Amino acid sequence: MLFVGVALSVLLIGAADKTTGSFTDGVLPDYIEFKVPPGWPKPTTDIFAKNRLSEQGFQLGKKLFYDNRLSKDGNLSCAGCHQQFAAFSTYDHDFSHGLNDQHTYRNAPALFNLAWMTKLHWDGGINHIEVQPLSPLTSPTEMAETLENVLAKLKKDSAYPKLFKAAFGTTEINSQRMLKALAQFTGSIVSANSKYDKVLRGEATFTYSEENGYAIFKANCASCHPEPLFTDNSFRNNGFAINDFLKDYGRMRITNDRNDSLKFKVPSLRNVMVSFPYMHDGRIYSIGNVIEHYRTGIVNSPTLDPLLAKPLVITNTQKNELIYFLNTLTDTSMTRNPRFAK
Amino acid sequence: MVNKSMMKNKLFSIPVLLFFFLPGHQLNKNTVSKNGGTVNISFINTVNGRLLELNTGSYTNPFAETYTISKFKYYISHVSLAAASGSIDENESYHLVDAANNDALHFSFPVNTGSYQSLSFMTGVDSLHNVSGAQSGALDPLNDMFWTWNTGYIMAKLEGSSPQSKVVNNKVEFHIGGFMGPYQVLKNIVLKFPPGKTLIVKEGGSSEIIIEANIDSWWQQPNDIRIAEHPVCSTPGPLAKKIADNYSKMFTIKDIINN
Repeated sequence: MLFVGVALSVLLIGAADKTTGSFTDGVLPDYIEFKVPPGWPKPTTDIFAKNRLSEQGFQLGKKLFYDNRLSKDGNLSCAGCHQQFAAFSTYDHDFSHGLNDQHTYRNAPALFNLAWMTKLHWDGGINHIEVQPLSPLTSPTEMAETLENVLAKLKKDSAYPKLFKAAFGTTEINSQRMLKALAQFTGSIVSANSKYDKVLRGEATFTYSEENGYAIFKANCASCHPEPLFTDNSFRNNGFAINDFLKDYGRMRITNDRNDSLKFKVPSLRNVMVSFPYMHDGRIYSIGNVIEHYRTGIVNSPTLDPLLAKPLVITNTQKNELIYFLNTLTDTSMTRNPRFAK
Repeated sequence: MVNKSMMKNKLFSIPVLLFFFLPGHQLNKNTVSKNGGTVNISFINTVNGRLLELNTGSYTNPFAETYTISKFKYYISHVSLAAASGSIDENESYHLVDAANNDALHFSFPVNTGSYQSLSFMTGVDSLHNVSGAQSGALDPLNDMFWTWNTGYIMAKLEGSSPQSKVVNNKVEFHIGGFMGPYQVLKNIVLKFPPGKTLIVKEGGSSEIIIEANIDSWWQQPNDIRIAEHPVCSTPGPLAKKIADNYSKMFTIKDIINN
């Protein structure tokens, strides 16, 4: 019946209103639009649909991201392991350092273009960007804090209540608002302005080697690392033997499906030259050795990706050209952007 | 894009809702009249035939294993009352029943006047709300009922210790979750009111439904769960489903009081 439909739609709208804050005194934040780069696919889910992006929300999220007090001993912020100059990965570290010199279980992923990801973490265990921070915040080997303590610290601070009011309408500080603010910051980090992007826009030209490397890339790598994201965000076994110490089976831990054994999320190759070492356990430090793995090092197993049934066949010259091309994916307009800096 | 037009729609629809609350109108879902009453739902948690005593009570399961209980929490959602002419759903229906907190053992919501035959609810949090990001109230991750590594809610939690448990600190730890796939643990519970006990909601009245949640049902029927074999369940999967299949029987209507 029509009336029931209207009633139900009113209830749905009412519910949506709640999540964008309560601006009872009428002072709204400065809403900003998330811009999809021209020619890019739209994200399949709008991560800001129930978390409307605003300048105040973004700035609050950034402040939280750089705040050491979110960790148990006050020494580690999100930025401690997610360093902007490393495309928000941990520079030169296979595993990152958490509380009391403990190591993380896996290599810290680079953070950019998260809006296009429906699952986060190497095993895809995170189904929504807003709840991701709960994992490092409470992990005993990382920031090792409790959600209660984090919120207590924010409430006692002289600056945060005002910032929460500016972003969400009241000085109330709760986990939902903190997590939504963080998502407004991390979700806004887009990398789409590397030399490669400029070439495609006609604003720059590849060198001869880079041009060759691009062709080699398209012929050999683009099935798992398609443009423009340079990942398809799927889970694949790319031929590495299991880490005997960690016994990390990747996606299978989440799905309990044997077919997912040793499958990990395909990382983006954007900024690959600054986000070494590579793979879920950071076992490879040089991009040359990654390419070498695909040429001569693929380990067979029941779940090995079918696309890797045959090894990569390229000459040494072509390997170097491929590396020249991968260098063009470094986007300093993101890694050095003051907007994302502390 | 979002806020202004939504505010306009909300104001618009209030007159529409009032319009069809005319007397004698057919009962529809979610159309709660101003002339209704209140239903209060309260839970009493029992084990071995007596009220649960956290930490101090000593209990025995059907396999002669003894145990104490330090935590017992579970989500109740999508609460609905059925009458002959239709049903009434509670709005924003998410509750965390927590044996450690007296205030978390009951909740109430407005209901149209009338006579109701059964109560239904879901144990756990529906799959949509498991993938909807950061939430508040009963669904706040602060409630310690949310997995951070495999994001989704813990639908029910039973913790304690037992000499039959061979893991650290003799702990018994059942964190039952999983919202999708063959091992999902969400259950729809329908409790028909016993003969002679009907829920009758009067105008301005307050009726109470007392539900017993019996922890004894966690251990058997259809699946034998022995502490010695399974002291811990902390991920979604077949074991969690077995335990959820058992505890889906734990609810019975203890009493209905109409005021």
